[in-house]
Amino acid sequence: MEDANTFDPDLVHAIFKLVWNRRALERERNEGADGLDIQVGAGASKKNRPTYANANALKLSCELLRIFVTEAVQRAATIAEAEGVSKIEATHLERILPQLLLDF
Amino acid sequence: MGSIWDALLKAILYPVNPYCDRRERLHLKPSHSVCISGLRRAKLELHFVMEADGAGSDVEREDESVIELLRDRFRLLTISIAEAQAKRNDLEISLPIAACIADLAFKYTEQLAKDLELFAQHASRKSINMEDVILSAHRNEHLATSLRSFCTDLKSKEAQSERKRKKPSRKEDKATTSVVHIPDN
Repeated sequence: MEDANTFDPDLVHAIFKLVWNRRALERERNEGADGLDIQVGAGASKKNRPTYANANALKLSCELLRIFVTEAVQRAATIAEAEGVSKIEATHLERILPQLLLDF
Repeated sequence: MGSIWDALLKAILYPVNPYCDRRERLHLKPSHSVCISGLRRAKLELHFVMEADGAGSDVEREDESVIELLRDRFRLLTISIAEAQAKRNDLEISLPIAACIADLAFKYTEQLAKDLELFAQHASRKSINMEDVILSAHRNEHLATSLRSFCTDLKSKEAQSERKRKKPSRKEDKATTSVVHIPDN
């Protein structure tokens, strides 16, 4: 049996790093524009060092994403079954979307 | 700044093609992207299209191509997971819906990255912890519980592998559950 049922931690790590680098750039730009040295709450981001991710935290985030996709498909499948249709369509996804986004 | 993008591109592309140095873009063949059942085959047969992109090395454009690359790979994984899940209910899922869920999950991942960074910063840390991930699932109790159980599973697996490694040195004084000291009476 192929273990195709989980996300790749490296891929998730790459996406995280992309977002963090983008935010670090924005922060640098903002600090440069202000000119004042505003005290940031945590105190660790004065030099805008990039954030790192723990290996276990990555695995856990992969699990979280997998649960997200699984939940979405499962809830849409429930509605499709209740309707008696054998294919999951856009209308099913529409109906579960608000609650899904509130839960995550 | 260019070195960061180079490192990022190499980190992403090496798992797929380690002998490739130049900047290449990942393209799905049209026939493969239509058929869901051939998706596993498509994963192995992804073709690289070389782009003579030497002239414009704008950070924006590199950013765009990197995002597209990540989004494509993410989409493939999501579609395979969604397909497997739908099969469990004996239902089919149509491709645009699966792609929709994939894009939704991608946006959720970006949001998650932002949240995790904020949580770690709030705790005066520079690295993301498992606690941060569990905290980001606070909106749904069941979700938090299942994540916490997954977390303890991971920790116990790690503890087991640590014990196997330290077997010759006989370090059994750690407070693990399976060690019971029988007093000599």
